[in-house]
Amino acid sequence: MNRDKIIQLINKIFVDKFELDSQDLTPEKKIFEDLELDSLDIVDLITGLQHTFQIPLRDNKDLLQIRTLQDVYDLVEKIIAEHPEVIEKLEK
Amino acid sequence: MKRRIVITGAGVTSALGYSRQELFQSLLDGKSAVKERPDWIEKMQTTKMAIASAVELPQEVAKSISRHHRRSMGPAALYATLAAQNALKEANASSELLTSGRTGCIASSTLGSSSETYEAAAALVNKVFYDLSACHFFRIVSHSSAFNIANYFGINGIQLAPCSACASSLQSIGLAYEQILLGKQDAFIAGGSDETAPVVIESFRLLHALAEEPNVPIQQLSRPFDAKRCGLVCGDGAGMLFIETLEHAQARGAQPLAEIIGYATNCTGAQISQSDHVSIERCMQLALEDAGLSPQDIDYVSAHATSTVAGDREEAIAIANVFGGDVPVSSLKGQLGHTLGASGALELSVVIEMMKHGVILPNFNLETPSEECATLNLPTAPLKKPIRTVLKNCIAFGGVNAALIIRRI
Repeated sequence: MNRDKIIQLINKIFVDKFELDSQDLTPEKKIFEDLELDSLDIVDLITGLQHTFQIPLRDNKDLLQIRTLQDVYDLVEKIIAEHPEVIEKLEK
Repeated sequence: MKRRIVITGAGVTSALGYSRQELFQSLLDGKSAVKERPDWIEKMQTTKMAIASAVELPQEVAKSISRHHRRSMGPAALYATLAAQNALKEANASSELLTSGRTGCIASSTLGSSSETYEAAAALVNKVFYDLSACHFFRIVSHSSAFNIANYFGINGIQLAPCSACASSLQSIGLAYEQILLGKQDAFIAGGSDETAPVVIESFRLLHALAEEPNVPIQQLSRPFDAKRCGLVCGDGAGMLFIETLEHAQARGAQPLAEIIGYATNCTGAQISQSDHVSIERCMQLALEDAGLSPQDIDYVSAHATSTVAGDREEAIAIANVFGGDVPVSSLKGQLGHTLGASGALELSVVIEMMKHGVILPNFNLETPSEECATLNLPTAPLKKPIRTVLKNCIAFGGVNAALIIRRI
């Protein structure tokens, strides 16, 4: 799965779950300050990422470091790279 | 001396309008909220009759509540919040008043959200947990409407949710009245809401309480007090009232719409699926006693009458025993369907308009009263009459009764 596809799928979660305009979803946007998500939204974000990418995420300590949308893209890309079986599942 | 409690705002969310004036006019014009819902048929499991008088909220109305607030609301809480918004606006309730700690919120419904409860159960049974949002719990708990309204408007006094199915919103108003009389708060936003959905319709069908007559036009299915009544049509909506002492209203220049002068609630203690005429009669008498009135002081009885065979019969006998056959009695459910937990506050809001216009709305679809209802005065056309004092009934599963008396100011 290439990076553009990952970004597209992550942005879809933000649009569907948080009613954000896709135009506003640029990598430098801060999750809490700019996109106005809060702790309850983060629970839904994690659920959405787990479901979309079929990756284990809930207990991933790197989640605590996420500040921007770019950080979300990077984290998902990293986890997918660490789990080749996920790529196969997603491509099916 | 008993403090005087007044209503200074009354908001509704209904299938026939988003203000009580619009709702009253729709009812006066003879409109029916009952519709086929083909979009629900695939979700019905035991019947292919998807008929309801349900609110169909335009997206722009729903989105007038921000996502951050709306995400914890199922339809019932959303309807209640919109109704509360109208009531608070009419009452001119300032932010200072709502956040003073002296204003409370009482709002209730049958379930926090019937549809969201069903979705949550389906997700858990099917092990598709990703379908559940972090806010799902907040949508389905029984006091969802109460805390969502409090949170949205910053109300930080007493918060209560006396959920009692179809008596919910009238009990909320009665409880608010009692809390103010006790001096616990200066004001309340109080009422309730409900939502109908395939799972709700199926539940009533299971209990043989749903109107199902394939050969009867759907807008004639709900026919309270009629000899041919065969069950109810599920509806939904919300009614929320702003309630405060008369002195409090006068001090801040708010215009009272009506005064609450009596309230009572009780139960049969013997039946869970219906009430009985003995306990309904006792409830109305207790409300009259609380108001210091005699039965002849009542100008109109706004009946609960949902169009079920047993429910209408028991209420009719009780009304006849207390009031005789002179006082006009009508149920709005022939047009509105049964709006469940919303019905008390929603119909009381319409009663406020009836008082203002001096018009009693009729028993829609009533052609021939059944024998046990025939002794009542049941208008079948709008009745012009000065209305000073009204008794409103609500009756619910659990054998619960509630009766509230309001007076024109």
